[in-house]
Amino acid sequence: MSAPGALSLSRTVLRALVVANVIYGLGILALLVASLVAEGPLFTALGVKQGEGMDRMIRGMRFIAVAGLAAVPIAHVILARLLAIVDTVRAGDPFVVPNAARLQTIAWCVLGLEGLHLLIGAVAATSASSVQPLDIDWSFSVTPWIAVLLLFVLARVFDHGARMRADLEGTV
Amino acid sequence: MAIIVKLDDLLHARRMTLTELSEKVDITLANLSILKTGKARAVRFSTLEAICDALGCQPGDLLAFDPTLVTPAEKG
Repeated sequence: MSAPGALSLSRTVLRALVVANVIYGLGILALLVASLVAEGPLFTALGVKQGEGMDRMIRGMRFIAVAGLAAVPIAHVILARLLAIVDTVRAGDPFVVPNAARLQTIAWCVLGLEGLHLLIGAVAATSASSVQPLDIDWSFSVTPWIAVLLLFVLARVFDHGARMRADLEGTV
Repeated sequence: MAIIVKLDDLLHARRMTLTELSEKVDITLANLSILKTGKARAVRFSTLEAICDALGCQPGDLLAFDPTLVTPAEKG
């Protein structure tokens, strides 16, 4: 695939992901609202059993929904910054200091998302019991944390490179 | 910027055009024009060497410092 083609595809994919993220957020919000206005039918449909541990499970599931909702604006920031970076590549001048700042923002956001992921795992673990199992397919992975580290390092390298290039501008 | 580039004077003294100098030193006309109009922020030693070689001058003939042109921002 040619570079302009890849860029155009990236923009399309990112724009689609921005929309998908909003739809995902609305879905989670609807679920959260339903858990408040139609608690009984919703949690029964989700497989929560009556009896011991039910309240804890409901609280846990609501918290997970809130955490999922909190991830929406964070994901939006990541996608928006990425889109802005792609736009600077299209404009022909990506090695600028604002892109380093965008990369650093993305790093903080990914860190935030990983924090939420850990929180969700902890809540799921404390909410579930042998009577009330909760399967959210949660697992810990080192890879995203390495990605966070990589993003912070790359942002710093990018910032240094962009400043060096700016310094070289006007050199004859 | 308190550094003055006297390329124009040197070219005039040697009856040489910027285009001719550009061909001699193998530096683009655009870059030499930036240098001549005082818009350059830095000069490479290789550029200085090529220009001095082509014009038969010293770096001091090409550049001068005028303290009256130092801006408050540059003074810090």
